[in-house]
Amino acid sequence: MGYFKNIGDSITTLITGMKVTMGYFVRAKEHVTLQYPDEKWPNPERNIGVGELDTYNVIRSKLHVDIDDCIGCKKCERACPVNCITIDTLKTDKGEDIGTTKLGTQKRLLVTRFTIDMTECMYCDLCTFPCPEECIYMTPDYRFERGDNKEVQVTNVERWRDRNNLIYEYSTVPKTEVDRRLQIIADAEAVKAAALEKARVAAEASATATPKPAENREITPGSGEEQAHE
Amino acid sequence: MIDAFASWMLQFGALSWLGTTPATILAMSLVAVAIFIFVALNALVLVYVERKVSAFMQVRLGPMRVGPMGTLQTVADALKLLLKEDIIPRFADPILFRVGPWIILLASFVAFAAVPFSPGWVPADMSIGLFYVVSISSVVVIGIVMSGWASNNKWSLYGAMRSAAQIVSYEIPVGLSLLAAVAVVGTLNLQEIIAAQAGVGNLFHWIPIPFPNWYIFHSPFLFLAGCIYLIAATAEVNRTPFDIPESESELVAGFMTEYSGIRWALFFLSEYANAAVVALLTAIVFLGGWQSPFADLAGARFGMISLTVLALIWTIFVKYKVKRLSIYPIGTILALTVIAWLFPAFAIWLATPGLVWIAIKGGVVIFLLMWFRWTFPRLRVDQLMYLSWKVLLPIALINLAGVAVWMWLTGAISLVG
Repeated sequence: MGYFKNIGDSITTLITGMKVTMGYFVRAKEHVTLQYPDEKWPNPERNIGVGELDTYNVIRSKLHVDIDDCIGCKKCERACPVNCITIDTLKTDKGEDIGTTKLGTQKRLLVTRFTIDMTECMYCDLCTFPCPEECIYMTPDYRFERGDNKEVQVTNVERWRDRNNLIYEYSTVPKTEVDRRLQIIADAEAVKAAALEKARVAAEASATATPKPAENREITPGSGEEQAHE
Repeated sequence: MIDAFASWMLQFGALSWLGTTPATILAMSLVAVAIFIFVALNALVLVYVERKVSAFMQVRLGPMRVGPMGTLQTVADALKLLLKEDIIPRFADPILFRVGPWIILLASFVAFAAVPFSPGWVPADMSIGLFYVVSISSVVVIGIVMSGWASNNKWSLYGAMRSAAQIVSYEIPVGLSLLAAVAVVGTLNLQEIIAAQAGVGNLFHWIPIPFPNWYIFHSPFLFLAGCIYLIAATAEVNRTPFDIPESESELVAGFMTEYSGIRWALFFLSEYANAAVVALLTAIVFLGGWQSPFADLAGARFGMISLTVLALIWTIFVKYKVKRLSIYPIGTILALTVIAWLFPAFAIWLATPGLVWIAIKGGVVIFLLMWFRWTFPRLRVDQLMYLSWKVLLPIALINLAGVAVWMWLTGAISLVG
């Protein structure tokens, strides 16, 4: 009788399976998932359990910087427990105006690099409090999508870590501008070094011959700096 | 149909210079072209429908991007296949590799020659139509073995061998289940088989519920024969619960592993043509072919009653399940019942042309095949052989004897006659 039981079991199980698929077939629209690129869930809002409801009522999902308001003080970099923020700055020239922040502070440093590695970030929110300009903050964006394919200038180690493209570059200073300023600084350094070298040679020469203080005064490091400021 | 078409063409002044024989040949070619267009469009539509059905059954949406609701997706796919490079492996047999797909397509295409689409609309009205369709469909196995062997690939060869074993095995239940219907009607002509299923009668001859005189409602044995035919025919056209010749998870694509581009498209075309032949044959032999079930007053009454029953089932099982019982289904049922018993002539218009009815019935069977395909897991090779030789074959044999007994009981045949 195992033979007939086998056939009976087959028929009943097949009918059960067909019921399941037909159940999905007749109301597929009720069961399908979100058609992601066309539709998106709204950003979830919830209390994370710290502070007041109205101020902390968002998920900390992604760190964001308003780079126009950043003065390059590096307080957030120092505050970060996991070193996921990396900031490079360059001094601006004397008298050069690169704008003010939204709080009215005159910016003095050019932020040539401001990368946040979201693979390292642990969403502790500690970097947002030291910021004097209130320009770094957590956003509720949990999707971490990137519309651009911007090449981020990072080291090889960071690139290896950044397999998911989760290092975010916030600096808007173009690379050519950074290179130009670095070149000017390097030129000034070269002039300074040349002057020092000349002075050293002159000093060695004066050790054997009579020293001439008037020549030493003509070549001063200050003249090199003035050239660099042009 | 060919002769009628030819004489119709000869009536025109521009064509009357043609002799009878050239006109007949021209008519044959035109009909063949029409059937080929039907086969191609059939594949195009069925691929889309199959993708949508599978998507809905798997809680997806399927193609949605090309055209409205993705309707142009298969057109885009077909164009892509036509533009693809035609690759022939270096160590493949160059002639057999090229010939194989054409034999498969030809076998499934020629089977349409005996299929009656409507009263009088059958390309070749032959007295052995059913036998012809069944036998020409099994020529496919030659093409499959040919392309599997010529590919010079172990997966292709495995697929071809499995396919040969499977088709040869399942020929027998197919033949025996069709033989049960043939025993009742006493002819192999498909038009006569359909003509014998006209009208409305009792369910299973004695149960006094009006049902169409289709052979699937003729007797419990023929109902069983219909089920066996559907299962065995699914296996014969290598559709999914029985698709071991091209099982993707074991053999890469079976006998089509080495094919690409247009030749692969031919396989696809023949696959869906085969499915269409099976569906049409099921509709013809067991579901009354192009016969409308609502063709006369009794049929109209049957239609109204079935609508009432469907509405009742809908009310009880669907509406109660979602706890949204409304007054409308009950009103619909009352209205339908009144219409069914007072104004049955109202539904006479449902006696639409045969082409529509055979399309509806074939479509239902094809949907059933798709339902099978996206529900059932694939059988193992030994399970496949077990099912054919140890389950379907004995049941079909006993069933055939049962049909004879049933006919004797209902007085269709007598032992002393």
